[in-house]
Amino acid sequence: MGARDMAADGPEQFDPLGPYLVLARLDDPASPVPVPERRYVARTPDGDRTVLLGTALPGTDPGRFLAEAETSRYLLGPWASPATDVSGPGARPWHARPYVPVLPLPAALAAHGGPLPERTVRALGAALAETLLIGHGQGLSHAGLAPAAVLLAADGPRLTCFGAVRAAAPDGTPRSGLPGLESGSLPPEQAAGGTPQPAGDVYALGATLAYAATGHTVPEQDELPAGLRSLVGACLARDPGARPQPADVLDALAPAAAAPPPGAAAPTAPDAASGARAAAGLGPGWLPGRVIAELARRSAALLALDVPAARRPAAGPAPAAPAVPPTPVPAGATLPTAAPRRQD
Amino acid sequence: MPQPLAHDDPPGFGPYRLIARLGSGGMGTVYLARSPGGRTVALKTVHARIARDPEFRTRFRLEADAARVIGGRYGAQVVDADPAAATPWLATEYVLGPPLDEAVERCGPLPEDAVRALGAALCGALGQLHRSDVVHRDLKPSNLLVTADGPKVIDFGIARALGDERLTRTGSAVGTPAFMSPEQASGQEHTPAGDVFALAGVLVFAATGRGPFGGGQPADLLYRVRYADPDLTGVPAGLAALLVRCLAKDPAARPATAELAARLHDGGGEFADHLPAALLALIGARASGIWQPAPPRLPAPEGAPTQPPGPPDPPATGPSRRGLLTAGAGAALGLAGAGAGLWAWLSSGGPGPDPAPYRKPQAGPTVPAPAKKKLDSLWQQQVAEPDTDGTPGNPAPPAALGDLGLAFASSGLAGFDPAGGRVRWVTDPDHGSWQTATDGTRLFRLLVVNRSGANAPLRIAELDPATGKSGAPVVEVAAFNGVTWLNQLLAATADTFYVVGCTGPSTDIYFEKGQTWYVAALDRARGTVRWRQPLPDRPPKVKYVGSTRLYYLAAKAVGDRLLLLFETNDGDIRAQARDTRTGALAWDRPAPVNRDRVRPTLAADARHLYLGNGPLRAVRLSDGALAWDTAATRRGKTYGPPALKDGVLYAVEQGLGAAAFDAATGALRWTQQGGDAGQSALVDPPVVGPGHVYVHSAVEGVLRAVSLSSHLTAHTYRTTADRFAAHEKGRVVLALGGHFLAAFPLR
Repeated sequence: MGARDMAADGPEQFDPLGPYLVLARLDDPASPVPVPERRYVARTPDGDRTVLLGTALPGTDPGRFLAEAETSRYLLGPWASPATDVSGPGARPWHARPYVPVLPLPAALAAHGGPLPERTVRALGAALAETLLIGHGQGLSHAGLAPAAVLLAADGPRLTCFGAVRAAAPDGTPRSGLPGLESGSLPPEQAAGGTPQPAGDVYALGATLAYAATGHTVPEQDELPAGLRSLVGACLARDPGARPQPADVLDALAPAAAAPPPGAAAPTAPDAASGARAAAGLGPGWLPGRVIAELARRSAALLALDVPAARRPAAGPAPAAPAVPPTPVPAGATLPTAAPRRQD
Repeated sequence: MPQPLAHDDPPGFGPYRLIARLGSGGMGTVYLARSPGGRTVALKTVHARIARDPEFRTRFRLEADAARVIGGRYGAQVVDADPAAATPWLATEYVLGPPLDEAVERCGPLPEDAVRALGAALCGALGQLHRSDVVHRDLKPSNLLVTADGPKVIDFGIARALGDERLTRTGSAVGTPAFMSPEQASGQEHTPAGDVFALAGVLVFAATGRGPFGGGQPADLLYRVRYADPDLTGVPAGLAALLVRCLAKDPAARPATAELAARLHDGGGEFADHLPAALLALIGARASGIWQPAPPRLPAPEGAPTQPPGPPDPPATGPSRRGLLTAGAGAALGLAGAGAGLWAWLSSGGPGPDPAPYRKPQAGPTVPAPAKKKLDSLWQQQVAEPDTDGTPGNPAPPAALGDLGLAFASSGLAGFDPAGGRVRWVTDPDHGSWQTATDGTRLFRLLVVNRSGANAPLRIAELDPATGKSGAPVVEVAAFNGVTWLNQLLAATADTFYVVGCTGPSTDIYFEKGQTWYVAALDRARGTVRWRQPLPDRPPKVKYVGSTRLYYLAAKAVGDRLLLLFETNDGDIRAQARDTRTGALAWDRPAPVNRDRVRPTLAADARHLYLGNGPLRAVRLSDGALAWDTAATRRGKTYGPPALKDGVLYAVEQGLGAAAFDAATGALRWTQQGGDAGQSALVDPPVVGPGHVYVHSAVEGVLRAVSLSSHLTAHTYRTTADRFAAHEKGRVVLALGGHFLAAFPLR
């Protein structure tokens, strides 16, 4: 990379972005796991509204990015992450939704100190399967599920990066190796340029659960916990027709509480649409302690973050450019969290 | 968790904008607030009334200094403070963790590993304090916030204006002497070793859910702290052996914090590794919940004076007043009431123990719809409630006087129209309910002079029921000092005012050395002291800590008896009768009841005083002997405070609902039928109407009208209120509490 290009690098801490001021990067720039968007935590200058904000990666098509953001507004289900605010067309489009403290899945593994416990992976898998099931019921393939697309909040995951595969390149164009796409969770048919279909989401789900359980998306079979081995393996079948349906994954990970009464239809989509089945697995203990501690640290750090007076826009419309040169915060500074504390 | 701002909360303090209320208690209100740069803080304010005491300002500054000493690792990081403002305030970080008492209440006792990790971290906190020559003095579960990275110590004992008071109040983990050191309990110096004693008590609580000296009456507790062996039942054996040493009566025998830390925990792992899942989930829910949009400010009640939004840090309104301590010949203002529910939420900093689980924000606009309260009332008015235990007395029920309804709000006594709720007038924030009484037709108040150090006679004036304005003093007594907030107007009869007053130096807020306190009868016509009888001394203000404990929580004059509920220095309640001709104590008997549950109303007729809060009893006015007692006739039954009407005594029987007795004989007349009222509150006297008796269930949030003929529930009204009174002329039941004043039909 040559001379630092502000436009390509994206905004820095306290720079304006739309009606918001950028507070921090959501993702660790040093993480090797690709992220299809540049994600930030930002808030309105009055401090009253904080958002999770995604911008298109430099060099990607802003139009396709915006089209997916617009569609994502309609996503349903408790673990979806629909945009509530989307920029107008421009060089650096963005979409935003209300902030809740979250850790991207790679950051959760880092906080925990390795792969997540099987209980967490199963609960996560059930919630993601339920979210896909709801989306597919709406006629929407997610086409963006990957480790970095999964954010962990205290009450359950949030599935982000809707349409990242479609945004990365139009159908018919090979997508292998495109920036932001994680190769292990890109279904082979989509890598080859095929139109994303629901079965592709199941492949990506398998790869993401493998990542959560082992730290990488292309695990050896024996790395996986025995209870997940056959399920993840089936999801990762190269033949889309051989993969299970999201409802099958949900059944495997969150068995229905009681058998339906004789003659009743098996509970599938209507049952799932409430998010009720996966929610049962997201009670106390679903996240390891260190992940919750890191969530709380990030939450506390953001609460304590004070925008310096010089960086606050004067009353009236936000200035087009920062009033002073960027602060010495390095590009891509992540949240100013405290180091994990050892016992005395 | 955040609660809406009241309509008369100021816009902000210093540069901080108020966002929500976090709780009230102690000396003031704690707000969630935001800096101009968007930093979110917890902002603790002190009532202007308390802040008028210059010594208190010093204490407030010391408290801020102590919080700075402990720093952000072991305490709440101090962000900003202005001890010199009209309303002093302190801004700290908003800590993402529940208090230890709430954590144990909701998650159960902690496993040994968590207790040990907690203890080791607390040793670190105390070590840091002690190295800076600061002693905490008030370590207890409610003062420890458990975050995922370790406990944080808050609320140093220094700035506890009412510290001595709260310590001797009963009934909750907050404010019991359960975690006091023996040297503190006997009035000696509390050293770092005293903090170690308290720490061990906290760890026993964490491991078992109760303190090492149990609960109960403060006097008993103080005795056990000083002389009894700690009860470590349920503490894991290895831990118990260590904690016994910390709980040694001899401070020198207790280990130092460094040694204790090493013995408690090897320091392995992160703090969060040792916490149980339920507690981690609670912490996670707090870390998320704070990001939900703040609830909108409550609207101003129609027709009531409001404080217009002004510049930040306006002159604060005075402290709100609790405790409509009114009584007199006949009915007077003494009416039904209930306050323990309110008390509970004041001291815990939020309404009720309901967990308010985190809910995922819905996609879409982030401005929530205003909370809709659908109540069954004829009308309702939003009121800024008396909101703290920073004032003497207990929460006041509404009351009736002629055509007028009366209720104490934070802005003063409000006179309102019982039919429509229109507020006709409001007095002033310095108007305390314990300074108010009526003779049944006219309303009187003590005039308060706020000038510490000055002298002024004790004056009583009549309030004009049309305007709420005080007229010229009807009585002026130079023999008593009018410059103290703790004077009481106990009761008014046709020819007499019964008061509590003092001679000696004047103080604005606290009892002071050199004062002598009296209960006295003043001749209304002549303005002379008919008699006065000395009262036992209250603990005088020492350094910065003073007592604001009123002598009497209820009073009523009946014939030749002045009936009183007296609070001792230990927080025990006694029923007393004085001879109205001489003031001599006619009799004095214990009335065992949690002082916070004492209603300012007494049920009495020409023969008996009726007491509940246990068995229902009739005490003879003449000699204080029991005329009848349900302990003999309805063995094992427990009753709330009674209400008397037309020779029938009504009270809630635990697990049953309303019960009616013949007041003269104690014979059971009837009990509520239908089996639906088993959760009725035992703190509220029933409200009696012409055809129904009204019983409140705080648990269910309803008021039941029980038919006097069928003994079945005839109507059920949903209500947030917790204090009720009949307004017979207006034919309504007045209901106060939960931010609202409302009325239900009185049938």
